[in-house]
Amino acid sequence: MSTFAELLVNGISMGSVYALIALGFVIIFRATEVVNFAHASLLLVGGYITAVLHDDVGFLLALAAGIAGAALVGAAVELLVLRRARVENHAVLAIVTIGVDIVLTTELTRQIGTEVLSLGDPWQSKVVNIGSVSIAQTRIAALLTAAALITVFLLAFRHTSWGLAMRTAAEDAETAALMGVRLTRVSLGAWAVAGALAAVAALFLTVFPTPGLDRATSFAAMKAFPAAILGGLDSTTGALAGGLIIGLTESLVTGYQGDLAFLGRGVGEVAPYLVMLAVLLVRPAGLFGTRELTRV
Amino acid sequence: MRRLVRTAVLPVGLAAALLAASGCSDKATGGSGGTAADGVKLGPGVTDKGVKVGIVSDLTGVYAPLGKSLTQAQQLYFEEVNKAGGVCGRQVEVVVRDHGYDVQRAMAAYSELRSGVVGITQFIGSPMVTALKQRISSDKLFTIPMAWSTSLLGNQYVQVTGTTYDVDAINALDFLSTDKGLKKGDKVGHVYFEGDYGESALAGAKHAAGKLGLTLVEQKIKATDNDMTAQAAALRNAGVKAILMSAGPRQSASLAGVARSRGLTVPIVASNSGFAPQLLQTPAAPALLKEFYLTSAGAPIGADIPAVQKLAAAYAAKYPGQPRDNAVVNGYTSAGLFTAALKKACAGKDLSRDGVIKAHRSTGAYDDGFGTPMDFSSADRPGTRKTYILRTDAKALGGLVIHKPAAESAMAKEYQVPTGG
Amino acid sequence: MSDRPPRPAVLASDRLPRPAVLAAVAVAAVLLAFPFYLDSFWLQTGLFAMSAAIGAIGLNLLTGATGQLSLGHAFFLAVGAYGYVYLASDGESRPGHELAGLGLPTPVAFLGAVLLAGAAGGLFSPIAGRLRGTYLGIASLALIFIGQHVLFNAEPLTGGFNGRDVPPLALPGVTFADSPELVVFNVPLGALERLWFLGLALLALAAWLARGILRGRPGRALNTIRDHEVAAAVLGVPVARYRAGVFVLSSMYAGAAGALLALVFRRTVPEYFGMFLSLDYLAMIVIGGLGTAAGAVAGAVFVTLLPQLLTRYSDGLPLVAAPGSGGVSPAEAARVLYGAAVVAVVLFLPGGLLGMWARLRAVRARRRAAPPHPGLDQKEQPA
Repeated sequence: MSTFAELLVNGISMGSVYALIALGFVIIFRATEVVNFAHASLLLVGGYITAVLHDDVGFLLALAAGIAGAALVGAAVELLVLRRARVENHAVLAIVTIGVDIVLTTELTRQIGTEVLSLGDPWQSKVVNIGSVSIAQTRIAALLTAAALITVFLLAFRHTSWGLAMRTAAEDAETAALMGVRLTRVSLGAWAVAGALAAVAALFLTVFPTPGLDRATSFAAMKAFPAAILGGLDSTTGALAGGLIIGLTESLVTGYQGDLAFLGRGVGEVAPYLVMLAVLLVRPAGLFGTRELTRV
Repeated sequence: MRRLVRTAVLPVGLAAALLAASGCSDKATGGSGGTAADGVKLGPGVTDKGVKVGIVSDLTGVYAPLGKSLTQAQQLYFEEVNKAGGVCGRQVEVVVRDHGYDVQRAMAAYSELRSGVVGITQFIGSPMVTALKQRISSDKLFTIPMAWSTSLLGNQYVQVTGTTYDVDAINALDFLSTDKGLKKGDKVGHVYFEGDYGESALAGAKHAAGKLGLTLVEQKIKATDNDMTAQAAALRNAGVKAILMSAGPRQSASLAGVARSRGLTVPIVASNSGFAPQLLQTPAAPALLKEFYLTSAGAPIGADIPAVQKLAAAYAAKYPGQPRDNAVVNGYTSAGLFTAALKKACAGKDLSRDGVIKAHRSTGAYDDGFGTPMDFSSADRPGTRKTYILRTDAKALGGLVIHKPAAESAMAKEYQVPTGG
Repeated sequence: MSDRPPRPAVLASDRLPRPAVLAAVAVAAVLLAFPFYLDSFWLQTGLFAMSAAIGAIGLNLLTGATGQLSLGHAFFLAVGAYGYVYLASDGESRPGHELAGLGLPTPVAFLGAVLLAGAAGGLFSPIAGRLRGTYLGIASLALIFIGQHVLFNAEPLTGGFNGRDVPPLALPGVTFADSPELVVFNVPLGALERLWFLGLALLALAAWLARGILRGRPGRALNTIRDHEVAAAVLGVPVARYRAGVFVLSSMYAGAAGALLALVFRRTVPEYFGMFLSLDYLAMIVIGGLGTAAGAVAGAVFVTLLPQLLTRYSDGLPLVAAPGSGGVSPAEAARVLYGAAVVAVVLFLPGGLLGMWARLRAVRARRRAAPPHPGLDQKEQPA
C-alpha cells in the first residue's frame, strides 16, 4: 500500500512538471499554430543558466536568471526565425523548430561537456516521512510550484488583457487583428512565457533523485509531447490533464513493471505513448481539444 | 524515335569509355604490403617511416565523458612513444574518429580506417563492435573495444582488456559474502542496464548467487532512466542486504541518493562504468560516500602505484583542468598493450596484420606495471579474473581509493566464461 | 582494357541532344563508374545517401506533397530492415539463444520487407487517416518508442540489443557479398561495390515511380489535400482514403530504404532506429525541397554527406578542431551546420536546394534570351 501511495505522489508530482512543459507547447500552439520542437533546448537553456550562476548569486537569483534567460531565448526564436518564415504549411514551421533545437542543443551540450551540473536547490536529498510513506522534498516542491504557476497562468489567461488577446488570437487571428489585437506581440509573449515555464520545469527535472543537469536532460522534455497531444493541443486544461495522466502512467507502470513483465522490460517508457494512441483513437483532437470546424 | 535510340546509345558509350579508363584505377588488383628497407614486412597502415593507429570513439554522444578521457590518455601515450623514438623506429600517427554513439557513423569511420591503420586501439560502443565483428575478422584488424561484455570474447582479433562484467559481478558477490557478512538465504538486489553490459553482469551474478545460496532481486533499467525511485522502493520492500549496480554513473547517483534518503543503508557495489568523479560535486555526493564500492580490473587513478602516479601527473600537465578518472588509466594502458604487440611484431620483423595479431596472442604474461597483469593467449578468456574493490573517497584523486587489492575469488577461477563467438 | 571501342563519335558528328538529357546521361555514367575508383568509405557513404534518398522520397510524398507530418519514419525503416532479416534468415537455435527466420529466397524477402512495411503503415491507418498535421506528427512519434521497445524485447525476432546478422542478397548470377570474388575490368568488386549498383537501380526506380505519382492525377489530388482539404473533398477527392494510402506508400519507401540499409550494415541494431533518424529525414526533405523526388534526393545527399565530410577533412578546415583536441568537434560542427541549414533554407530559400537550382536556371534562361555573350553559353553547360 505504501508503495502505491509513493508511486501516486511521485506520479502526480512528475505529472505536474510535465504539465508545465505541455502548457508551454499549448500556449505557443494557440498563439502561432506551431508545434515547438525546440522546447527541449529552452529547457536546457534555463537549467544551464541556473546551474552556472547559483554558486555566485545564490539559488533564487540564479533560478530567476534562468527563467529570464529561457524566456529571452524563446522570444528570440520567435522574433528571429518564426516571424520571418513566411510559410503556409505548419508542418514546415514545426520542422524549422527542429532545426533551431538542433543548433541550441548541440551548443549547450558542448558547454555542459562532461559535467553533471548541480542546480543548487535548497531541498537536496531530504525526504518527508508520512507514516510509512517517504517522499522527496523536491517532489513536493515541484507539485506546489507547478500548481501555483498553473493557477496563476490560468487566472491571467481568463482575466487579463493579455489573456484576452491570446484567446481571441487563437479563436480567429484575422478578426482579432481587425479588433486591434497586436498578433506579433501575442506570439512573442507566448514564446517568452513558454520559455519561462520550461526553465522552471528544467529545475524539477534535474533535482534529486535525478543526479543533475547533463546532456541527457533534454530527453525528458519529449515526455511532454504525448501529454500535450492527449489533452488537446489547443487546450490549457488539456495540458494539465495530459501532464498528470502521463506522469501517473509512467510512475505506476515503472513501479509495477515486475508484474507487467510479459510486456517486456522498460515498458514504463512506452506506456505514455500507448495511452496517447488509445485516447487519439477515440478522440482525434485529444481529451479537451476542440475539433476543428472547417470553414470554406 | 531517333532521339530515343540516341539516348539509349549514349549511356552505353559513355559507360564503356569510363570503364575502359578504369585500368588506371587505384583499386585495380595489385599486391600490397612488401618489405621495408629494415627487413620488416609491411602491412596496411605501416610504411618505412610511420605507423597509423586508429581510434573510433564517442566524443559528442552519451559516452562522451568516457571517450574524452580515453582518447586524451591515448594521445598522451603515443606522444610519449614518439618522443622516445617511436615504434620499430617509426613515428606513430593517431587517427581519431568520433561517432557520437551513432551506429552509422561508426560504420563509416571503420570503413574509412580499415585499410589505412594497423589496428584500432580504442573502439567505444558494444553495439558498434558487435555490428562490425564479422568485418573485423575478415579485415584481420587488431581491435580493442572499450566494452567488457562476454559477447566480445571469442574473436581472435578483438582483445577485451581487464576482465568482463560477469567476472566483476562474481568477485563483487564474493566480497559481499566474505567482508560484508552476506549469508545463505539473503537477498541481493541487482540493478542492471538492458543490453550486453547488464546481461553479462547478470549472468555472473546469477552464477555466484547460486553458489552462495543468495536470492537475486533483478531490476532491469534503460540507459535513459535517470530516476531510480521506483527501483529503490522495490529493493527496499524486498528487504535486500546489498545491491549490485551494473549501470551508468547517473543511475548509481540516483539509486544511492534515493536508497540512503529512505534509510536503506546496505552496501552498494557498482561495476567499473557505474561511477564518475564529477558526481561527487553534485547533491548525490553524501550518499555516494557511504558504503559505495566499485569493482574494477584496473587500478584507480589515485592508486599508490608509481606508474599510475606518474601518469596522473603527466595527464594533469598536458590537459590541465580535465577530470582525471579511471578511464585515463584504462586508455593509457590499452594503448600500451597495443603498442607492446606492435613492438613484439617488430622484433619478429613482421608488421603485417597477421604478424601483429600473432605477436599479441603469443603474449602469455603481460605486466605493464599499472597493477593489472594480463594473459592474451586465449581469445575465449578475459585477460585477467582479478578485480580490485574500490571505495569512494572525496579527498582522493578521481574520487576512489583501493579498498581491497586485486584478487581472484575461487568462484571466478572455476567460472566458465561464455563467449560471443 | 575494354576491347570494344568507346563511341563518343556519335556525339560529335550528330546534332547534340538537349543539354538536360546529356547531363543526365553523363551523371548516370559517372555514378556507374564510381565503384571502380572510390574506396570503401566513399562507397559506404554513398550507399547510406542512396538509402536515405529512397526513404526521403517516401517521406516527401507524405509530408511534402500531402502536408502530413510524420515523425515515425524511422519505425518503418526498422520494419523494412528487420523484416528482410527475418524473412531471409534461416532460424537458429542455440541454447539460450533462439532466432526465428523463414529462410525465404533473398529477393523475395526483400520484396516481402517492403510489403511488410506497407502493411505496418496500413495498420496505423486508423490513426493516420483521421489525424491531421501536428497531431499525426506526434502520434507517429509513438511508433518510434513502441518500435524500439519491441526491437529490444522481441529477442527471437530481432536479436534484442545486439541485433541480427543480415544475410546477403543473392540475385541469380550475383551475390551481394565479398565472396565469391568478382573482378570486372581488373577491379575486384566486393560487397559494397556490388551493392552500389543495386542501390542506384533501386533509387532510380523509387524516384521514377514517385515522379509518376506526383505528376499524375494522384499527385494533384495529394497537393490539393495539402493546400485545402475541404476543397479537395468538394472536388471529389476521397480525402481519408488518399491520406491513408499515401501513408502506406511512404511506409513502403521507408521499408525499401531500411532493407537496403540492412544490406549495407550487414547487421541490424535497434539503437539506430530512434527519433533522431526520423528528425534527420524531416531535415532532408526541407533542405532538399518539399514535394518532389529530386528535392528529397538532394536533401538526403546533403544531410548524409555533411557529417562524414566534416569528420574526414576536419584537419584542413578552419574553426573545426580535430576530434579529441577540445573546441568545436567536426560532429558538433556538422550538427550545428545542418540545424542552421534547416532554418536558413526555410527563411531564405523557399523550395530548398532544388528551388535554388530552379531559380538559377531561370536566371540563366533569361540571360540567354538576352543578346548572347559569345562563349558564355558553353562554359555554363552543366557537365
